[in-house]
Amino acid sequence: MTQTSVRGASTPTHGRPASGHDPLRERLGRLLTGAVGTIAMTLAAVIVLGTILAGQEFLSTSNIAIVGSFVAVPIIVGTFAGFSLLSGVVDLSIGSMVGFSAAAYASLTQAGWGGWSAAAVTLLLCLGFGVLNAVAIVTFNADPIAATLGMLTALRGLCRVLTGGSGAITAFNDQFYEFTNKSFGPLPLLFFISLVVAVLATVVVTKTRLGRHIRAVGGEERAAQRAGMSVARIRYGALMLSAVGAGIGGILYIGQLGGASNTTGMGLEFQVYAALMIGGYSILRGGVGNPSGGVMGLLVVAGVSNLIDLTGVNTYFTNLIVGALLLAAVFLDRLRGGDAYE
Amino acid sequence: MTTTSLQAPPSGRPDGLLRARPDGWGTAVTVALAWLILIAASSLHSSDFFSHQTVLAVTFTMAITGVLAVGESLVALSGGILDLSLPTALVLPAYLTTVLLDHHVPTAAVVLLALLVGALWGALNATIIVFGKLNPIIVTLATNFAGLAALFLIFQAAQTPQASGIRQFGKGYFLGLPNIWWPMVVLIVVVGLLIPRTRYGRRMTAVGGNAGAAKARGISLPRTRYAVFIASGVCGGLAGLIFAASNASFTPNEGAAFLLPVLAAVILAGISLQGGRGNLLLLLLSVGFLSTVPTSLVFFGLNSDWQIVFQGLILIIAVSIDGHRQRSARA
Repeated sequence: MTQTSVRGASTPTHGRPASGHDPLRERLGRLLTGAVGTIAMTLAAVIVLGTILAGQEFLSTSNIAIVGSFVAVPIIVGTFAGFSLLSGVVDLSIGSMVGFSAAAYASLTQAGWGGWSAAAVTLLLCLGFGVLNAVAIVTFNADPIAATLGMLTALRGLCRVLTGGSGAITAFNDQFYEFTNKSFGPLPLLFFISLVVAVLATVVVTKTRLGRHIRAVGGEERAAQRAGMSVARIRYGALMLSAVGAGIGGILYIGQLGGASNTTGMGLEFQVYAALMIGGYSILRGGVGNPSGGVMGLLVVAGVSNLIDLTGVNTYFTNLIVGALLLAAVFLDRLRGGDAYE
Repeated sequence: MTTTSLQAPPSGRPDGLLRARPDGWGTAVTVALAWLILIAASSLHSSDFFSHQTVLAVTFTMAITGVLAVGESLVALSGGILDLSLPTALVLPAYLTTVLLDHHVPTAAVVLLALLVGALWGALNATIIVFGKLNPIIVTLATNFAGLAALFLIFQAAQTPQASGIRQFGKGYFLGLPNIWWPMVVLIVVVGLLIPRTRYGRRMTAVGGNAGAAKARGISLPRTRYAVFIASGVCGGLAGLIFAASNASFTPNEGAAFLLPVLAAVILAGISLQGGRGNLLLLLLSVGFLSTVPTSLVFFGLNSDWQIVFQGLILIIAVSIDGHRQRSARA
């Protein structure tokens, strides 16, 4: 429990309120505050709000396709980052990891490397930074938020070093652009691919022994240790997965956008974690949530920012709303049984 | 300010709440050595490094980082973990300062209002933390993100009027060092001396050491949270004033550059994120060391992008040392 100071410093609530005397009310309460209830309510709220504020355009096929291509990379990044949340550590560095990966991939292809070898090297570099995160957090017991905040900054610095004075590298590739912008029916192919990734991850998390172990390490660290699981090994793996997921996201952005800039992925960690928390994950305790819920949460955030684009409001409102959403999600998490801080 | 205060806080505590460990000296010596090695290496690499110019650059950097570090230390010491909203707490009062100066508000009123808006920002954080019973690190992460967005909605760039007294103060020197350096030193020394010697300071430290035990002794946790986050906001207000005084113009983004050096300075000074332990006077060393890094990097030919890389790496190393120390202390 003391592995992450975030949890170590807070006082655990002593059990849930006494159950039994009013089962109906309690069940209703749990339905409203539970993960499924929250996601359904917020998603419905976004759709209703969207149609009111932006009219029919919000639900038009072309707009849904725009949201689909916008949310595809965050779904992949969020699905992988979800593994570290499940195992009880937060990896804030994903936003800059995406930026670094995009810049590294673009630099390598500009230097004449082939697409696949550039991708392989980029992902290896990301994996290395993931290991560095894990060494600090798992081996040296560093606070995950503070340590990965350091990595977030360091990688943004590297991204800026790579993009240089102009602040951008173009790396346009016909085939890659075609692949990442291809449609499959009314929606982008990449969106379906990201959904497949999320579904596979959901199966791993909910149906396999590995998934049970990851959730156990995050939820009941000591019990997991007593049961013979290697907490350290699982957290190492989770932080490495999270880094590689962000690396994949950065490379896919190159396909979508045709280049990297020194702001690629900036603030993405916020959108992703606010979304994952809405979707039932918890930043403050591991073991809860699953990738399918995360996808729903990401759709909520994507819907909100799309709505802001459509209504022509200043885009900084998106950040304002995402910040508020994150706070609301943390509050809900506490109502669902998260630790109360006094 | 020498031996006695650099040592571990005085023994014979009122109670057994604090795990007093005499690690103040060790930390001080380590940081001082690191600082000396950095200075020696930079001087050997380039003989121009050892100059009055460098001293001015370092002391300029120290001023804002040091003031913010005091607020952050109070939060950490009291078990509030971290206040990640410092960038907003800095830029909001700095922006207010420029607006008030534009309207020719008297300097004394500007200073008071800047500190007040910092306090209000801290109170907002504390309100969310106390009434939501939410973890401060997440709350301040979110309020900073939203706060910076709000600042961008209000302004894109701000200018401090050149003729204003505050701007003139920011350009001035006292005893060969920048004016803005001195308030920082006074703040660190005064707060650092008061915390182990006053009842409020000891109570605050007790809450950080063991919140449950402190509560059992009748110390109000909500009131402590309000006090430290407001104090942190006031430090942001002071830092904002210094920032506005020393910069002719700035954008909302520029506050973010201070967050990492501040966190690293607090942790390197041995003020644990777990709360209840640490000596603020050591900030003079850690802030000095970290403020020398950017100047050294320039002499090593690395630009500001590399400085960000180093800032991040230093923070990772600092929190790793802190975490390792925590585990050894428990074992």
